[in-house]
Amino acid sequence: MDTTAFLARVEEYHRDGWRLALINVTTVLPAAPAAHGAQTAVEAAAVGAAPLDGPGVFEIAWGFARGGEFKTIREQIEQGQSVPSISEFFGAAFLYENEIRELFGINVTGMGVDLKGQLYKTATRVPFSHGAVKARLAALAASAVKPS
Amino acid sequence: MKRTTIPFGPQHPVLPEPLVLDLILEDEKVIDAIPTIGYIHRGLEMMVERVEYTEMGFVVERICGICSFMHGMGYCVSLEAIMNVEVPERARWLRLVWAEISRIQSHLLWLGLGADAFGFENLFMHCWRMREQILDIFEKTTGGRIIHSVNRIGGVKRDIADSELAAILAELQELGAAFKETARVFGTDPSIAHRLGGVGVLTKADALAVDAVGPMVRASGIATDTRLGGAFMYDQIDFEPVVETAGDCLARVLVRLREVDQSIDIIRQAIDKMPKGEGLPIENRPRGLPSGEVFTRLEQPRGEVVYYVKANGTKNLERFRARTPTFANIPAMIKLVKGCDLADVPNIILTIDPCISCTER
Amino acid sequence: MANPFRLPMVPRALRNLVSRPATRLYPTELRPRFAGARGAIVFDVESCNFCMLCARRCPAAAIECSREDRSWAIDQLTCIACGVCVEVCNKKSLSMSAEPGRVHTRAEATPDGRRPGREEWLKPAPPPDLTTAPVSAAATD
Repeated sequence: MDTTAFLARVEEYHRDGWRLALINVTTVLPAAPAAHGAQTAVEAAAVGAAPLDGPGVFEIAWGFARGGEFKTIREQIEQGQSVPSISEFFGAAFLYENEIRELFGINVTGMGVDLKGQLYKTATRVPFSHGAVKARLAALAASAVKPS
Repeated sequence: MKRTTIPFGPQHPVLPEPLVLDLILEDEKVIDAIPTIGYIHRGLEMMVERVEYTEMGFVVERICGICSFMHGMGYCVSLEAIMNVEVPERARWLRLVWAEISRIQSHLLWLGLGADAFGFENLFMHCWRMREQILDIFEKTTGGRIIHSVNRIGGVKRDIADSELAAILAELQELGAAFKETARVFGTDPSIAHRLGGVGVLTKADALAVDAVGPMVRASGIATDTRLGGAFMYDQIDFEPVVETAGDCLARVLVRLREVDQSIDIIRQAIDKMPKGEGLPIENRPRGLPSGEVFTRLEQPRGEVVYYVKANGTKNLERFRARTPTFANIPAMIKLVKGCDLADVPNIILTIDPCISCTER
Repeated sequence: MANPFRLPMVPRALRNLVSRPATRLYPTELRPRFAGARGAIVFDVESCNFCMLCARRCPAAAIECSREDRSWAIDQLTCIACGVCVEVCNKKSLSMSAEPGRVHTRAEATPDGRRPGREEWLKPAPPPDLTTAPVSAAATD
């Protein structure tokens, strides 16, 4: 992602009086199960229609609200890449940024407050990383296959 | 000066739920606060991987017991937007009525907890006695006191008869009249003013800088309210957001006090304007599987909630995310705690109306 | 500084001295249930045709149903009283009572690990109808 252009857009939102509503991350799986006639991602994995390996991509959406309006900035990054912090414009961003680092394993550079992995206590480390999501889906797929 | 670290929580008399703040003190002054949540992280967002989208509504309702109705409504509204379902008008009005009743319920609950936190147990009991009447209304209309399970993608499961709506309104107005006496205690008692006045002041500029939401930000003089956006029939309701300007703990109490009255008035308008009659359609069942994504915003009792739902044409959603009001208010809480006295920390934490279950999902 | 002699709670406190309690003496005095309250699931085995729809649609997976064994079971402690099963039942075998289910204790768990609150029904297969029975066995003297 283009860091300079991204930060310029964030600064513009800040100047125009928008409020940071959320930072949301989606673990983008390479599967397109519906195309293979499978009803669920689990079934798709079970019949081998959806390869659970592939490039690990995260879609990040920075959502801004102003009155009744809502806008997002979307960026896709690959696993291992980092995103810049927007704490300098939006004071509340640090909480979301700590969250995405702990739950998705996305490194955020220049966070306003670094909670050093203390925010959540989860059983799985980085529960929404591509590795963890795929492992869970594969386990579900294995348990969903009934002996005929 | 020597610094002391005091762990505040996870168990603390004022906290109904586990939250940890590591307070770093210099003498009696709090210099820094480091939050730790996750004691009740249940991974509900992760459950979309194995729970079908039709059943996920029941899970979403259980994010939190206080905003249970609003969570269920937010989920169903999101799915309706994705699946292009037109919800019958009567169902939309009923949702609004239930949503406002749950706002009254939440505020009464919080006012009681707040009173208990500053040591006014008598007041706490009166608030909760009134809340019990609201819970009875919920049980009569939805069948459940806390978990209502009355929302469905495409509408609502139960209708309320017109005569019963009138009776509910009469009961609420009676409750509103009785509540005035309790509200007067909150507003005029010198010990409350002494305990909360001028404590934990969030200035207007600070409230904007930390992106706070809900009664928190309205107590700092900013008239922001997601309901003003007009969705979910609020465009047909005449109301002004309740705003206080002091920004201290007392102002946050007063905002919630006045919102109880305001909600009763909104319910009166809604019952006045909704289409009347027996057997009006209250749901419109969707067809097919959802595909698409949507951001939904609602005004919960504690502030704005944002849902993100992404569906990929299968029975399981690809992503469900709820950004709850407490999550958005934690930066404001940390800002307020820094620089205050240790003895004021419980009241400051409580006046943001923290819901840790919501925050962690 | 506010006036310390202003005591707005006092009238209420005095009235409370002479008023009735707002609470009930719960175990002895029960509030009647509201009609339509969501309580325990009631099952009528006679009308059930074991279509399995309730078991499949139950979001909490509290219902077990078997067509072969003609058995039906519910885990009342897993049930979330959402009413989905009542809604999908074609034979109206399921209904929701306004009364809450019985309170179960951990001590009820049996040594074989069966959970307390599990209720089971078994419906014996109807006797074979002799008038339309196949005649292959007849006339083999």
